[in-house]
Amino acid sequence: MKVSSQKTGIILIAPSVFLICALLVYPVLYGVWLSFFKKHSFFPEQRFVGLANYLYLLRDSEFWMSLWYGTYYSVSTIVLQIVIGVIAALILNEAFRGRNFVRGVVLFPYMIPTVVAIILWKWLLNDQFGLINYLLLAVGIIEDPLSWMGKDHIMTSLIIISVWEFTKFDTVWLLTQGGGAEKYIRTLPVFAYMRTFMYYQAGLGSTLAVIMFGILIASTTVYFKMFRREEGI
Amino acid sequence: MSRKKRYKVIIGSVCLFLLVLAGTSLAARKVINVWHTETNPLSRKAIANIVERFEKLHPDIKVEAEALAWGDLEGKIMAALAAGSPPELSHGQPITCAALQAKGLLLPLDDVVKHIGEDNIWDQIKKVGKYGDHYFGLVHAAGTSLLIYRKDLAKKKGLKNPKTWKDLLHNAKELTLDTNKDRKTDIYGVTIPGDNLFINILLGELTKANGGILFDDQNRPQFTSKCMIEILEFLKELTEYMPPGWEGHGYRETFANMYGAKASMMYQGYGRGASLIEEYAPKHMANTDYFDVWVKPHGPSGTKPAAQVDEEPWMLFKGCKHPQEAIEFLKFFYQDDNYLEYIQTVPIHFFPVTKSLRRSKAYQDTPMIKRWKGWLDVQEYYLDNDLVKPTLVIDWKDMETKPYLMEILGSGILKDMVMEVTKENVPPRKATEKAQKRAEELVKDKGYAKW
Repeated sequence: MKVSSQKTGIILIAPSVFLICALLVYPVLYGVWLSFFKKHSFFPEQRFVGLANYLYLLRDSEFWMSLWYGTYYSVSTIVLQIVIGVIAALILNEAFRGRNFVRGVVLFPYMIPTVVAIILWKWLLNDQFGLINYLLLAVGIIEDPLSWMGKDHIMTSLIIISVWEFTKFDTVWLLTQGGGAEKYIRTLPVFAYMRTFMYYQAGLGSTLAVIMFGILIASTTVYFKMFRREEGI
Repeated sequence: MSRKKRYKVIIGSVCLFLLVLAGTSLAARKVINVWHTETNPLSRKAIANIVERFEKLHPDIKVEAEALAWGDLEGKIMAALAAGSPPELSHGQPITCAALQAKGLLLPLDDVVKHIGEDNIWDQIKKVGKYGDHYFGLVHAAGTSLLIYRKDLAKKKGLKNPKTWKDLLHNAKELTLDTNKDRKTDIYGVTIPGDNLFINILLGELTKANGGILFDDQNRPQFTSKCMIEILEFLKELTEYMPPGWEGHGYRETFANMYGAKASMMYQGYGRGASLIEEYAPKHMANTDYFDVWVKPHGPSGTKPAAQVDEEPWMLFKGCKHPQEAIEFLKFFYQDDNYLEYIQTVPIHFFPVTKSLRRSKAYQDTPMIKRWKGWLDVQEYYLDNDLVKPTLVIDWKDMETKPYLMEILGSGILKDMVMEVTKENVPPRKATEKAQKRAEELVKDKGYAKW
């Protein structure tokens, strides 16, 4: 029996389509559905609340603060990653002695787990015993130790580590573990995580996820439009 | 059949037989899952040894013991319960035990208590897990928070145990030192961890020590009370003597400041810190001549000191597969010889819950207990005088009447309030109003508001 090429194609892509639907489409749609409910994160109790979650967040100063921190953090890390990445790529493209070694060193951040990297960075940036402050003091750049993990510099520390590590959410959370200074880098994903897994408010957590999804779609659309316009030129 | 083929059939059959045998053997053994929060290698080893001995006595039972970090535990318990596959046993915060018991998710541990002997358990311990006539939690060990200080520095300055917060502020000021006269602070007067958990512990303690409450009988938050305003004013002043950036310090970094001679006092220390001092402080300083503990002071509206007690109960989950076997394991765990091995892994923090062990010579002769006896005496004083409560619990009845404390802790509302006052210069009154609003919303959301 001969199977048409069309049928063969359908059979071959079916597993992928199934996986995408099960692991991507369904959770997104379920998240949207959940955003209209007041629901405990782990227990079955739930109640339809319509747009109440969205209206609550619009009035919530914590949400707007998270949006601001998230935007500041994302723009800073993306710009720095692009600039530093391009400079590094150009340098590593040149022929020089020890290039292979340097290329290996550049890949180092990818190879170590984020948790390990954060522990190392936390001690490097420790205000009393950290190597960074020690060096900055030794060369006279600063006169007093900087509190890298404190309110005033935690965002800078986060951006430096994120640029080094090329990671996002896990860095934000692992750096503070919900500690005092977490308040000053509470980006939208952290806020959504807290609402879902610490307040046990899955409905509000889903609402935040839907809003983030919306922001992502909007910014991607803008990006593609600009990109296409440039292509046209 | 060719020779080659015959070999293949024989090897295949043997493999199949072994697989079936292994599967049957595993299926025949009842597996009990035990989650605990003692992640340090010594405690893990002790638990592994106890498990090994238990399995020898009960060849039909396999104990899967897993050490989990505090941050992962609550979420994992909730997820397992929601999935309908909870472990048999787990540690948990007393307020978690209260919340789960209120939802009917726990099984009683009365058999274990009976086996140990109810009279053999300290009264303070019984208050943590007893609801009505049944025990739904049984503490694995108790240890209280401690005000640790540099005895040598305090002696030089002629400072005494602070009785009130005012005295503590005075001591903190006196112990903020510029040792090399370069007009910069080298040793800060006091330090506390900035973690959400520790800030919550601190606020609970200070509320007790200032004669206040966190929630009234209608479950309405009392964050705008005079008591809380006084607490925030005190903390604002206290932070002037703390290392800048304390809010970003976890427990270990805070303790590093203590044994690393960067701070003179640590308000939220614990007995397990004695091990850190022995391991990391300069050898000549790793003793109670340099690091000792004071009884905590009380606030202007309070009369008695207050501390937090770290006493996680074992919980047995409804819906687990082998509850009876888990009960047998707990009975075995609390046997004096097994229990002593466990307690001795962190002897200055693990107070035995049984009177028999606490009085036993074997326990009293533990070398580290002899070296740090003063630290244990203060804890015993707190425990015996009912001056300690679990995190955010002000009165023992809160354990039954306020099952939302777990969510209050997780929400970070109290931590944000403290940060606003101490780091953002928000007036205490304004910060408390914001926290009050957030907490009221949360309590209403959870369905516990009665006002």
